[in-house]
Amino acid sequence: MPHKIAIVGSGPSGCYLAQALGKACDDATIDLIDRLPVPYGLVRYGVAPDHQGTKAVIRQFARLFEREGVGFIGNLRIGDPSTGADLSLEELRSLYDVVVLATGLSADRRLGIPGEDLSGVYRSGPLTRHWNDHPDEAGLVPALGPKVVIVGNGNVAIDILRLLAKEAPEFAGSDLAETHVARLSDRPITSIDIIGRSAPAEAKFDPVMVRELGKLASVRFRIEDLPPETEDEDKRLAVLRGLQGVGNADASRTITFRFGWVPTRIEGEQAARAIRLQRPDGADTLELACDSVVTAIGFADDASMDRERLLIDALDAEAGVAAPGLYLAGWFKRGPRGTIPDNRADAQALAKRIAADLAAAPTAGDKPGADALRTRFAHITDYAGWLRIDAAETRDLPADRCRRKFTSVEDMLAVARERPETR
Amino acid sequence: MNITLLYGTETGNAEMLAEDLQSHLEGDHEVELSNLCDFDPTTFDPGRFYIVVCSTYDDGNLPASAQPFAKAVAKAKPDLSDIHFAIFGMGDSEYDETFNHGSKRMEELLIAHGARKIGERITHDASGSDLPEDLAIDWADACIAEAETRLVEDTDA
Repeated sequence: MPHKIAIVGSGPSGCYLAQALGKACDDATIDLIDRLPVPYGLVRYGVAPDHQGTKAVIRQFARLFEREGVGFIGNLRIGDPSTGADLSLEELRSLYDVVVLATGLSADRRLGIPGEDLSGVYRSGPLTRHWNDHPDEAGLVPALGPKVVIVGNGNVAIDILRLLAKEAPEFAGSDLAETHVARLSDRPITSIDIIGRSAPAEAKFDPVMVRELGKLASVRFRIEDLPPETEDEDKRLAVLRGLQGVGNADASRTITFRFGWVPTRIEGEQAARAIRLQRPDGADTLELACDSVVTAIGFADDASMDRERLLIDALDAEAGVAAPGLYLAGWFKRGPRGTIPDNRADAQALAKRIAADLAAAPTAGDKPGADALRTRFAHITDYAGWLRIDAAETRDLPADRCRRKFTSVEDMLAVARERPETR
Repeated sequence: MNITLLYGTETGNAEMLAEDLQSHLEGDHEVELSNLCDFDPTTFDPGRFYIVVCSTYDDGNLPASAQPFAKAVAKAKPDLSDIHFAIFGMGDSEYDETFNHGSKRMEELLIAHGARKIGERITHDASGSDLPEDLAIDWADACIAEAETRLVEDTDA
């Protein structure tokens, strides 16, 4: 009997791990479990809607289900049953030889300053999930602008900047829904200030992400706090210098990059009206008037899996070994650092470890795996259900869009459970 | 013909395409497949035709698995003047300034050490509508047809 392996979370880390396990273990049955009826996690809901090329890794992951015999178990929530989960981690472990947690880190890190809970302050996670039509954020009604301040200098901050700065026609080819475009143009944004704590050469964004901003049609750029030019300087500096002054004087939006500022307070009674900044050494302060603040300063655990305890008790936290037969992968294991391909390399290392552990201590091979889940939970969906959702989302598309996503789990389930016509 | 498929990949997309080409070519040819990071540049064999699939990563750089190979070439400086290759690039036109620079760098590297290119380097765009294998399979067949005569002619010359 093959080893039964369950991977919780069907985002890029989970999928890359399934791919690597398929190559590293000859004798394993792998199931990818997701709380939604749709797979691919962050690729579907975190990668920006206008970065469809980045989402192309989905073609690799689809092969897991279509050719490699990996199972998809959708609409099943693992975690604490007292908070609405279908099944506890312990119960899941009793059904599989190996369980891997690859649920990512989806909560936003907080700034920890006064005013961050005022209305008009948004966090990067809910905002990007909302623009990607994640069912959890369907109810969010962002009212951004006219003056926006983005706090953070990573790729997520740049994604948000780009989405806010684009005009409607620049979303051609994306899957950004018309409702989002309409809302963004409801309150035309006139200025976006993006604030980084570090100096420009130490900013966390990838240079290519900033270079891409140079294509924006109706913005003009101002780059503050640049050091004097030197030879052989960091690519980030060169890319930023390339943007300095780009754009027409009559462009509808001004984008200002500011570096070396630490936010100390968001001012306002109910709603944010200004943000106060200070130099790290306290030498200087600056107050920027604004209508909205978006924080994009990294991600943290959403506490649904007791990650902290798992890491403290882990046999080998660095390798992702939590306990015999229980492993941690991706961001859930190593924290919110690194890109999608970094998680691929990580997954390959973890797959080798799991294969070695299985070879060293073979399992009895008598665990029921997915059969037990399907018997117990009638609401589980499968890969065929996702294919029906996928087909419905890519049929009869609006002009210039590559997909129109369902925004509620109920709608997804209705389509996933449609039975093909029998005759 | 004896063919070696080499791939340089970051996200795995180029690896998948190389595997697709392998499946397509295996019936008619003797095919080996290797990740560039596992390929020793001093072991190029003039009797084989090399098909390279190479993506681009970050700001027009070589993908992670091609970088150790590039370093090894720079160090070993192999004479590749009797080696024939074709190269297929993968990129994303969303980043138009550096679109497919990874495969361009790889092509320049091989040519700089004397290798002879067969066919044109063509590139796939992840933001476009066609699938990489649809482009690459016809392209590879055409390159192989040309290689079948060139490998003989160039050896005789």
